[in-house]
Amino acid sequence: MSTGQVVAFFILSFLAFSGAIMMIAFHRVVHMVVSMATTFLSLAGLYILLEAEFVAVVQVMVYAGAISILMIFGIMMTKHHDGEEEKPTTWKSWFTFGSVAAFLFLVYVSIRNTKFPEQTQQYVSENNVLEIGQMMFNQYAIPFEIISVLLTVAFVGAILIARREEAETE
Amino acid sequence: MADYVLSAFTWQNGLLFFIWTVITLFAVLGFVTYAIYFERKVIGWMQLRIGPNRVGPLGLLQTVADIAKLLMKEDIIPKAAVRDLFIIAPALTFVPSFVVIATIPFSESITFADLNIGILYYLALSSISTIGIIIGSWASNNKYSLLGGMRSAAQMISYEIPLVLSVVGVILMSSSLNLRVIVEGQLGGVWHWNIFPQIIGFVIFIIAAVSELNRTPFDLPEAESELVAGYHVEYTGFRFAFFMLAEYVYVFAFSAMATVLFLGGWDAPAPFLSFIPGLIWFLLKFSFFVFFLFWIRATLPRIRVDQLMSLAWKVLLPLSLLNILLTVFAIEIHKWIA
Repeated sequence: MSTGQVVAFFILSFLAFSGAIMMIAFHRVVHMVVSMATTFLSLAGLYILLEAEFVAVVQVMVYAGAISILMIFGIMMTKHHDGEEEKPTTWKSWFTFGSVAAFLFLVYVSIRNTKFPEQTQQYVSENNVLEIGQMMFNQYAIPFEIISVLLTVAFVGAILIARREEAETE
Repeated sequence: MADYVLSAFTWQNGLLFFIWTVITLFAVLGFVTYAIYFERKVIGWMQLRIGPNRVGPLGLLQTVADIAKLLMKEDIIPKAAVRDLFIIAPALTFVPSFVVIATIPFSESITFADLNIGILYYLALSSISTIGIIIGSWASNNKYSLLGGMRSAAQMISYEIPLVLSVVGVILMSSSLNLRVIVEGQLGGVWHWNIFPQIIGFVIFIIAAVSELNRTPFDLPEAESELVAGYHVEYTGFRFAFFMLAEYVYVFAFSAMATVLFLGGWDAPAPFLSFIPGLIWFLLKFSFFVFFLFWIRATLPRIRVDQLMSLAWKVLLPLSLLNILLTVFAIEIHKWIA
C-alpha cells in the first residue's frame, strides 16, 4: 500500500524523531530550538494525516509563536561563546543511561501489551471543526472554562512576579 | 484535494501536483515582478518622479534586469556567520509565504485546497516565516540584523492576536472557517459583502495584516535609518532575493485574503454585472489592495517601537474584542427578530 499517506507518514515521523534527537545532540541554543521546531511542525503534519486539521493548525499557530519567543530568550539569556568541552563519563552518567533505558523498556512493553480497539469511534468527518466546537462548548464546557481561568491565573501570576522584581530593583 | 491525497501515490498524480505547483509559482513570480515595477512607478508618481523607464518599453523590464543582477551576484556568507542556519533561513522564510496560497479560492472553479480550516491555515503558516527571519538575523552574527529579528518577533506576537480576533467576526457571520463558504455567504452584490457589517473588523484586519507583512508604516524590522537594513543586512545575491520575494508573495497572499474575507471574493458588485467572469472581479479587488499597500507606503511615515506596541495592545486588541461582542449581539438580535 503505497498511498501518499504512507509516504508522508514515514517522512514526517522521520523528521519528528530526528528533530527530537538533534535537540539533545546539539550544543547551541538556536540549533536546539530549530530542531525542536522541526519536531513540532512534523507532529502537525502527522495530525493532518489523522484528519485532525484543526489540531494541526492550532499546533502550528501556538508553537510558531512559542518557538520564536523561546529562541529570543535563548539568545538573550545564554552565553554565546561557551566552550563545548566533553564532560567525562562518571557513575552519574551511567546511572542516567540505565534509568533512561529502563524507562524506554517500560514504555515499549506497555505499548506492546496495550490492546487498541479494532474499530475506532467513527465521527462524521465532513466538518470536524464544527464537531470540536460543539463538543467543547456542550459536553466539555466546564473543563474548557476552568482551563481558561487557570491560564488567566498564570498570566496574572507572571505579571505579579515581574512587577515585584521591578519594585525591588528600584 | 482530499481525494488526491488518499488516492494511490502514482507518478501521474505526483506529476499533476508538480505541474500545478510550478504553474502557481510562475504566476506568483510574474505577479511579484510587476508588483515591484508598479510599486516603484506609483511611489515615483507620488513623489513627482518618473520612476523606472529605461529598461524595455516604459521600463517594463526593469525588475527582470534587477532579478538577473541579483542572481548573478557573488554569494557571500560572512566568516563569523553560523553557516547552516544562515543558508536555511531564506528558504524557511519563503516557503510558508508560497504555501499559504494553496487555500485561497480565486474564483468558482480555480481553487486548490478546499480546507475546512482555511483561515486558520493561512494565519498559522504565515507565522512560521517569522522563525525564518529570527534564525537569519541571529545566524548573520550582526547586531543590527539581530535587532531587526527581535523587533520582527515582538511585532508578530503582538499583532497576531488582533489579526486573529478581527477575523472572528467574519467567521461568526458565515459560521465557517472555510474560505470558499465565506465567499459564498457574501454572494449577491456589494450590500452582502462583509466589509459593511464588519467595518471595525476590516480596519483592524488591514492594520494588523500590514504590520504582519512588515511593510511601512510598520517596517521596523528593516528600518533603514536605524538598523542599516534590518534582519537581512548580511544577505546578498539570491539569498537576499528570497527574503524580498517572501515579502512580496505575502503582499499577494494578504491582498487575496482581504478580498476573500471582506470584499466578497469573486462576487460581482451588482447582480447585473455578473456576466463578467468572477476571476476578473477577484483580480480587480485584489489589485485595489495591492495598490493600497503601495499608497500607504508612499504616504505614511514609520512609527516608533513604543507606539507600535501600544497601538496593538491598547487600541487594536480591545477594539477587536468589542467587534466580536457587537457581532454576536447583532446575530442574536437578528435571529430573535426572524
